[in-house]
Amino acid sequence: MSLNNNDSIRSRYGARVQALSAALAHGDEAAFGAALDDLLHSRKPEVFNDLRDLTANLKVALDRFRLDARLADFAEKEMPDARQRLDHVLKLTDQAAHRTLDLVEQSGPPAERMAQAAKSLAPAWRSFRARNIEPRDYHEMLKRMDAFLPAAQADSEAIRHNLSEVLLTQGYQDLTGQIIRGVIELVREIEAVLVELARLSGADPERADSTRSAARGHGPVVPGVTRGEVASGQQDVDALLSGLGM
Amino acid sequence: MSKQLKFLVVDDFSTMRRIVKNLLHDLGYQNVIEADDGNTALPILKSGGIDFLITDWNMPGMPGLDLLKAVRADSELAKIPVLMLTAEAKREQIIEAAQAGVNGYVIKPFTAETLKEKLEKILGAAA
Repeated sequence: MSLNNNDSIRSRYGARVQALSAALAHGDEAAFGAALDDLLHSRKPEVFNDLRDLTANLKVALDRFRLDARLADFAEKEMPDARQRLDHVLKLTDQAAHRTLDLVEQSGPPAERMAQAAKSLAPAWRSFRARNIEPRDYHEMLKRMDAFLPAAQADSEAIRHNLSEVLLTQGYQDLTGQIIRGVIELVREIEAVLVELARLSGADPERADSTRSAARGHGPVVPGVTRGEVASGQQDVDALLSGLGM
Repeated sequence: MSKQLKFLVVDDFSTMRRIVKNLLHDLGYQNVIEADDGNTALPILKSGGIDFLITDWNMPGMPGLDLLKAVRADSELAKIPVLMLTAEAKREQIIEAAQAGVNGYVIKPFTAETLKEKLEKILGAAA
């Protein structure tokens, strides 16, 4: 024990201990009791301080335990669930996009067929309207018109059917939107827990920075998230590139 | 412009590859093959016959910028026109791609008209 500590103990307790031992030496019970009370009272604030520190530490420990338990829950169950849910979103969007592309591709040929048939009928029809058509061409035109009308009806019905299928396929947005919202809620909860943990360990959550490699790319621009100078559209890109001599 | 040109379209999303392939067909280019990242694209390029490369940037495996650099670094492939078709829109990235030797840069979402215009510009300059 250092000399300073010794001095401090002496200055705080010396007089009280002397009074206590004097009362004991004299057999003065009242004085002994008073000196003992005095000595005990003098320790009270320290005991309270220690108790307060202990309580605070206990609270931090309990908070940490509660957060750790919640984090363990996230890690064991909810994060893998979220990953599966997002995988499912990828699958649903992929299916919907391919289904839409299928329907668009299927609609090309009937549209093309109608356009070609109408185009090839047009000259004969114009001659007919000008009352300048050979009887042979007239009969040929009637035959082709007989074929064209039901074919055009069937083709346009097929296209209309495909369009309503495209419409229905867009229902994926409702399903994926609900799943994504659930995951956003989970991310929000995890964020709250992490911020709280960072606070308990005295870290500065603002200091966190992304370490992702720029060569991999950053993905699409997300308003309010993407930092740095971003091209606002193709015109902006073209202007930037022509500025570079391209 | 020769419609016999052989295109390689590189994107990790099959829907995007399909969209680009359809647009190229609409423009009269029937000869289009696909790859899902730089690692699968490079062997196809090295086996020869590709006249035009259209690539995304952000892909697992080898990203588009690395593919572009690999193409420019290979004496056999260095002259292939490369069009970057990507959601990457940071100015520093566009500059980086230009410095790496990209011939055109189209950001997603894009229009059929923009793709046509850039293709014609690149092919016109190459002709």
